Amino acid sequence: MSESYEPKIVAFTCNWCAYAGADLAGVSRMQYPPNVRLIRLMCTGRINHAFLLNAFLSGMDGVMVSG
Amino acid sequence: MVITQEQIDYCMECGVCTGSCPISRMMSNFSPRQMIKRTLMDRDETVLHCHELWSCLTCARCSVRCPAAIDFPEFVRQHREGARKEGNLPQLAHHGTLQAIAALQARNIKQRRTEWAVDAGRFASSGDIFFFIGCAPYFEVVLKPGVGSGEVPRSVLKLLNRMGIEPVISNDERCCGHDALWSGDEEMFRRLNRWNLEVIRGSGAKTVLFSCPEGYTVFKQHMPKVFGELPFEVLHVTEFLARELPGAGITFKPYQENGSGGVTYQDPCRLGRQAGIFDPPRELIGLVPEIPFVEMPRNRENSACCGTTAWMECSSCSKALQLERLQEAQDAGAGTIITACPKCRIHLTCAEQNTEYSLHITDIYAFLLKQME
Ligand code: SF4
Ligand code: SF4
Repeated sequence: MSESYEPKIVAFTCNWCAYAGADLAGVSRMQYPPNVRLIRLMCTGRINHAFLLNAFLSGMDGVMVSG
Repeated sequence: MVITQEQIDYCMECGVCTGSCPISRMMSNFSPRQMIKRTLMDRDETVLHCHELWSCLTCARCSVRCPAAIDFPEFVRQHREGARKEGNLPQLAHHGTLQAIAALQARNIKQRRTEWAVDAGRFASSGDIFFFIGCAPYFEVVLKPGVGSGEVPRSVLKLLNRMGIEPVISNDERCCGHDALWSGDEEMFRRLNRWNLEVIRGSGAKTVLFSCPEGYTVFKQHMPKVFGELPFEVLHVTEFLARELPGAGITFKPYQENGSGGVTYQDPCRLGRQAGIFDPPRELIGLVPEIPFVEMPRNRENSACCGTTAWMECSSCSKALQLERLQEAQDAGAGTIITACPKCRIHLTCAEQNTEYSLHITDIYAFLLKQME
């Protein structure tokens, strides 16, 4: 793995907590690396196996579920 | 095209296919005869756009009876390739999770495919006999607990160990591509099996055993067409056991019925009609003393499909077929259904949940292992 390796991570976030947290971070002008791509869900209960696996199939290096 | 002009000419539109088809009975607009006629005689391409193409179970009940020997499942398989290119896709079961698992295996990934085996028994990394595990352990992780598919390879490994055999199993094995192939994605099938051939060759195996009828028919019938003659013997575990078990010095406990009813056998479509293996599983069940074996009215060539295939198009029609099968077993006096396919076991187990049926659904390997002394 070269030093310039930057993983691509998709984060499935719950509207009511993790996404709100990320939103607050944004409003507070906190910086975070662009490696994370957020996908908002109305509840993480909406997750099923296929979302996680399809993220990998679409070329993601990591998946985070937060909520 | 596997269907020759002569066969097309000979299709006498007798309708035996449609009359034999379990789907046609449930869905009045589904007719293999009409699909054949439209496509081959009228040169009409609409079959590529119709959803019925995906409803076929490829169970081969029609084709074994066709007087013109038209291989309708193969016709369907080939047209699915075309349908896929036209954007006509099936409805995937379980949100496509199982297709995603197969697709990921076509890549250079690190798996934990054989972790279960460490506790289950002894195995080797090279040797004469390779046990192809298949995806059954993954099914158990994805599906509801209790479907029991993981018990299939565990039992086979234990059985082989009891016979003094330590088979090769490999963490680098891939999905056999059966479902991809039958869903019209031959490219995926090729990609997966290029890995498999490399893995099996690397083990030095002369014989490869399959507990899953799907992997077995893929290696027996489809692989040689694509990759040429395979450098090893392909056997289904029931064939191997029927040959080796009687002389292996293993005895079985007499069956304790205890009011649980008879024991019947569900012929998987791939193993039965497609590969012609009807007797070995019955011989194995017959090794158990005092076994109250009963046949369901639809058995062997006439057996009924477990209702769905390739993790797609699981519908009310599938459920109806499954419940009909459970009823048939019950009416035959059976309290136990033994199958030789992890998917039959899963589908019948799933159908039975939340119903009043209380049949014990198991597979032949778990059954034999339980009966061993
Ligand atoms: S059973 Fe064979 S010959 Fe008869 S209609 Fe069907 S495809 Fe044609
Ligand atoms: S393969 Fe089975 S489901 Fe498909 S048309 Fe023939 S009998 Fe019907």
